[in-house]
Amino acid sequence: MLAVEYFEVECPEPVGAEYYKQITNDVLLDHNLLKVIEKLHVYIDPKVPVFIAVGILKPITNVVRVGDIANVNPQEGKMTLVITEETYLASMLKIFWERFGKDKVEQPDRFTVVLYDVPVAAKEIEEIVIGHPSESLNKDLIYAFRCVAPEGFRLRSERFDKGKFSFVASENTLVENIDELVKAKFALMGETP
Amino acid sequence: MTLVPVTYKGGIYQHDIVTDLIEDLGGYVVQKHVLAQEVVLQCFVPRDDIELIREISRPLFGEVTDSPLVGTEIAVVSMSLEIHHLPHPSCDIAEYVRRIGAKSNMVSLARGPGKRITGLNDEERDVINEHDIAVYLMGNFETCIEHKMPILLRGIEVPVVVCGGPDKETLIRIVDPPVEGYVGGVGRFMRRTKEADQLDKLDEIIAEITRVLEKKREDLAKDPLSVSPARLMNLIRERVPAILEVTSPTPLTVQLAGLRVKLPYDTFAPALRAMEIEDGITLGDVAAIEPSRMRDYILVKVLPFSETNTVI
Repeated sequence: MLAVEYFEVECPEPVGAEYYKQITNDVLLDHNLLKVIEKLHVYIDPKVPVFIAVGILKPITNVVRVGDIANVNPQEGKMTLVITEETYLASMLKIFWERFGKDKVEQPDRFTVVLYDVPVAAKEIEEIVIGHPSESLNKDLIYAFRCVAPEGFRLRSERFDKGKFSFVASENTLVENIDELVKAKFALMGETP
Repeated sequence: MTLVPVTYKGGIYQHDIVTDLIEDLGGYVVQKHVLAQEVVLQCFVPRDDIELIREISRPLFGEVTDSPLVGTEIAVVSMSLEIHHLPHPSCDIAEYVRRIGAKSNMVSLARGPGKRITGLNDEERDVINEHDIAVYLMGNFETCIEHKMPILLRGIEVPVVVCGGPDKETLIRIVDPPVEGYVGGVGRFMRRTKEADQLDKLDEIIAEITRVLEKKREDLAKDPLSVSPARLMNLIRERVPAILEVTSPTPLTVQLAGLRVKLPYDTFAPALRAMEIEDGITLGDVAAIEPSRMRDYILVKVLPFSETNTVI
């Protein structure tokens, strides 16, 4: 947990807290989410029962452009793109089809895309935005915390807003003062929700 | 003649010499796995003849090791089939006991997770009761384990080993009604068991299972079975050829006091009941043949000497 500035697991049972610290670490590491979390406080009380995870995310402003995942080689009448990373290939093709038309875009093999007679310069192609990694982040975080929280805790309330998130889960109906609890946990990290 | 469970590992070349030897000595091969150039036999052999098997298999580079769990069927009870419990630790433990020779089945509960919402239905209870021992894999919180165990143990008649996050002393204190075995420090975790300390924990589970099963074996020895389940296995294989067509890994699963026959009950139960073992004694005379709650399998429960007055 080197990348996270603050990481605590609070639980009335010290042994349980230790295990859950390990579980939280393993799950976030598996889902590749440690690098986006700045502060994280987890509170579990099996007697109530309630699971609360509150945290602050690192600001993610970068977007993925064509130039980040492909080498663009302009040739006579066509432009060949050599793909190095496939994650955003599908969304890139979709954008090309919409912008240039399907007849001008060809993918002869997995790692090559050829554009025929497109009226733009190679530099401009490289600048086209094809992905926003932060968009799927909330979904990934919710999934990860569902794995961390005890399985019986199926009633959930999640909030993701301006780089701050809270995830509350319980086996019983969530009590009304849950906002107070979330606020108190944020305060432990020196933050406000 | 005391038969002891052992595992034989050796090359596939001339391994039939060992198989024949085991059968000639009066032992039984319970499971045979052929993996590329290697063969693994899980068998029961007479205690006094282990050295002889070692001697004869030496030129074949064979290795004979003790496997106390051979011939047992273990239920690994997982609270659910969600990512929270699988593949670690449920599969890790189920696989580890398999390596020592046991046949392990994973029983996952429909309403296992949670504290208030937890429950055990009649099918789950009956399936667990069909095994020799049940290993309950619980979570990390003692509050939950304390609350859940009375519900999850309702109607369970087989010995139980409870694994959970809190230490062994805490488990002994909170589990009510008391069970036969406890292993602390093995709760829910989300990583593969590959470090030395984690493997030690798995060994601790094996030791606890072995201890509980040994006790059950001793109890069984006080009133011996009318016929050895391993012998029945060989007989059924000879007399009921349909078993050879079954594609499941162990068509005949040997248990401490019985046998699971993976054939449809309605079609094959009468034939099994009428199967002659020796001197006109049929299987129906020395065993109860019942439908299993697991698919439509047959469960053969061998009766003790005190009930049949025969030992064959």
